Amino acid sequence: MTNWLRRHDLNLANGAVLLFLWLFFIVFMLYPLGYVFSNAFFTEDGFSLVFMKLMFSSPNNTIILANSVNLGLAVTLFTTVLSLPLALLLVRYNFPGKGLLNGLILIPMVLPPFVGAIGMRQLLARFGSVNLLLLEMGVIDQPIDWLGGGSFWGVVILESLHLYPIMYLNLAAALANVDPSLEEAAKNMGANSFKLFTTVTFPLMLPGYFAGAIIVFIWAFTDLGTPLVFEYREVIAVQIFNMVTDLHQNPMGYAFVVAVIVLTLFFFYLSKRVLGGGRYEMLGRGHVASAARPASATMTVVAYTVVLGISALALIPHLGVLLTSLTHRWFLSVLPSEYTVKFYQDVFSHNLALLSIKNSLLLSSLSTIIDIVLGVTIAYLLARKRVPGRGVLDALAMLPLALPGLVLAFGYVAAFSATPLDPRINPVPLLVIAYAVRRLPYMVRAAYAGFQQTSVALEEASINLGASPMKAFLQITMPLIFANLIAGAVLSFSFAMLEVSDSLILASKEQHYPITKAIYALLGRIADGPYIASAMGILGLLLLAGSLFIAGRFFGRRMGELFRA
Amino acid sequence: MMVSVKFDSVTKILGQSRAVDNLTLDIGAGELFFLLGPSGCGKTTALRTVAGFYTPDDGRILFNGQDQSRVPPHKRNTGMVFQNYALWPHMDVQSNVAYGLKMRRVSEAEKKQRVRHALEIVHMEAYAERMPNQLSGGQQQRVALARALVIEPDVVLLDEPLSNLDAKLRVEMRTQIKDIHLKIGRTMIYVTHDQAEALSMADRIAVMRRGRVVQAGTPHELYTRPESAFVAEFIGGTNLLRGTLEEVDDLLTVKTQAGIVHAKNGVKGIQRGDPVFCSVRPESLRLKPAGESRGKVPSTATNELIGEVLSMMYLGDNEQYSLRLADSALVRAVEYNPPTNKTKIGDRLALEFDAQAVVVLPQEELGD
Repeated sequence: MTNWLRRHDLNLANGAVLLFLWLFFIVFMLYPLGYVFSNAFFTEDGFSLVFMKLMFSSPNNTIILANSVNLGLAVTLFTTVLSLPLALLLVRYNFPGKGLLNGLILIPMVLPPFVGAIGMRQLLARFGSVNLLLLEMGVIDQPIDWLGGGSFWGVVILESLHLYPIMYLNLAAALANVDPSLEEAAKNMGANSFKLFTTVTFPLMLPGYFAGAIIVFIWAFTDLGTPLVFEYREVIAVQIFNMVTDLHQNPMGYAFVVAVIVLTLFFFYLSKRVLGGGRYEMLGRGHVASAARPASATMTVVAYTVVLGISALALIPHLGVLLTSLTHRWFLSVLPSEYTVKFYQDVFSHNLALLSIKNSLLLSSLSTIIDIVLGVTIAYLLARKRVPGRGVLDALAMLPLALPGLVLAFGYVAAFSATPLDPRINPVPLLVIAYAVRRLPYMVRAAYAGFQQTSVALEEASINLGASPMKAFLQITMPLIFANLIAGAVLSFSFAMLEVSDSLILASKEQHYPITKAIYALLGRIADGPYIASAMGILGLLLLAGSLFIAGRFFGRRMGELFRA
Repeated sequence: MMVSVKFDSVTKILGQSRAVDNLTLDIGAGELFFLLGPSGCGKTTALRTVAGFYTPDDGRILFNGQDQSRVPPHKRNTGMVFQNYALWPHMDVQSNVAYGLKMRRVSEAEKKQRVRHALEIVHMEAYAERMPNQLSGGQQQRVALARALVIEPDVVLLDEPLSNLDAKLRVEMRTQIKDIHLKIGRTMIYVTHDQAEALSMADRIAVMRRGRVVQAGTPHELYTRPESAFVAEFIGGTNLLRGTLEEVDDLLTVKTQAGIVHAKNGVKGIQRGDPVFCSVRPESLRLKPAGESRGKVPSTATNELIGEVLSMMYLGDNEQYSLRLADSALVRAVEYNPPTNKTKIGDRLALEFDAQAVVVLPQEELGD
């Protein structure tokens, strides 16, 4: 016992903080998940696999499961194909304007894909701009059903165009982490460029690649907004969303959520242990010279063509949304026939739109404050103290990366019904907590990186000269990690503003709608609904773009480290 | 104020190992005291318990007889110089130095004057407005020193302060720190693994190994009268000839496989029949052509062994030899002001050394 105490920094203050953190995670993460599990496996007669059997025996359900997995895999594959050349070009070559292109690649992140879906629908519909343009030009004489096949490919394309920047950030970081001397050694042994890449570079990149791939996979696998807008209902996320309303009558919802959790954990495990292998990047990095070399003129042209080409493709949905937001008549013409800024004014006069903006600002501010407090505390304990259960604390703080918002929100509705926190009465507390939990990993990582870069000796020197530990922390460490905290907070805030699945599930009354749910609700209204929704989408886009720009300014090149598992 | 520091049976456990193991040491007020030892011997841990960053798991730290073990580090009034300097990158030089005074609520005017004075002591007054990253390693080192001194600490703690400097600067800084110690007369505890640094600067040295002090004393005592093979080897380097103690008389007689060795000095408590080392410093060996002394009866006050030259290294003011004795043990010898030499590799030479220069030590395993 004394030995155990000796090995840890445990005093009253640390103990109280730890206890509080444990309670938080237990109440708002483990308990809802446990509740879902127990309802999926326990009936009034005790343990039972009846719901599981039901789910897998119905061919309908297995198709739905397969659709979701396929969606995740297809998006992962597409994003990889899109971002690998980008990473190779931008990490390995130096050319004028590289910084600008680097920024351009990140732009698609700034629009929730379900908003992009509005624009996409406008462009690719049966009588949308693309078909009309092709008809006019005489290329086709029958409109093509672009979004056909149950819209599966529409969802894949839209999500891929939204998520490839995350894949790119991870691939670029993984590539930059490969020790150039390892590649030089391979060249020295006679490997040509192709062999070099397949036998040394790519294997070394794998752990970093899978860390990003799993995030992309889980995102696509559980995305709710995009399939909803494309009316692609045969996926697990939409099914669960529909079951939330009658979850007390129909326990199949629990079974579906359990299936999502199990599959998510399975793929997470696969990516970490089996595919990701060891973390080679940690080994033997004496000196890492920059592996970038000046690009030849041809290479520069190639780089610009590839980056601009992919970016143009990725910006099509944005363009569609922008055009939709600027018109009130866009039928049967390639481009809108009239333009107006009326709908931007409407956003600020329309009751629902304005209210939802206010709601979102409040909810996101509160959740960001929680994230800062929890994130800095957890990062501090992990980086600076030897507390008991350190590994578990780390795992709990990172778990939300693998925990879809859909699952969390479903768990909250299920577990907290008929309690003081019942989201159907007042969803505000749980919305705030859901946002906070979902973005906590970003904050912990940002703060942890700050603590890691700031030597403990700096704090000790201050204590040695007479500052109390608290003073030393506030005067020395805080200013030095401030940039990290800003970056983490900005990201937490802006992603909370555009959080889709938990907003759609938890907010049930108009007075509590956050922006995303308001956009979704407006889309369903005929008349001017979609136009106001588009205008709100564009405003959200500008907000997220500004935030990412600020975060990038503070966090610099290490942005990629935030978006990985 | 001059403060004496006492380690009273201090034990500190880090992870699974006893980083400091029942350490007892008395450091006099105003002394420049060195903790010397190989890496991992616990010297830095010992220093950090004085600063209060570690609380002893057992035992006490006393300043002037007063128990400090439960006093938090920011209330101890020690001034520490960190190995990597730990200058705060977001403050300029004078803010770094003024920090401790600010914590002590020293008036603005006095603060200014004391910061200036501290920077003068370390010859950095011209750099008051620079940021730490605009300074060279040696300059950062001196700012760190000024920051520790300006608060007029009871004890100055230096954790390998010179280890990040290049060789030339290191030697210069030795003199400077010693001068500063003379000038301010405060108790200083200095941790290093560099025995030359310790020998050239210390009032007293404690040699540490595996969390314990193996020997403490003045540099001269440690060098001339080591009490263990570890100390003899670690301080200055030595030759250890393996043998058995045959006779204990006015002189000690040791039988080695290379021949009989007489010694004037021995560690207390060794007895006839014990396996021992004879420690002979390389510079105590005199090299002569092997033939010259043949036939002469070696006096008991002088020893002579025969060795074969394996290699020679000419270093200007001295020449270092590596020789193999009859029992194939290797021996190092140093000749100062080496004559224009005609010795060749493979030559057989006589190694002559006085019984006075030999210390007989109990055998032990070496290494950390």
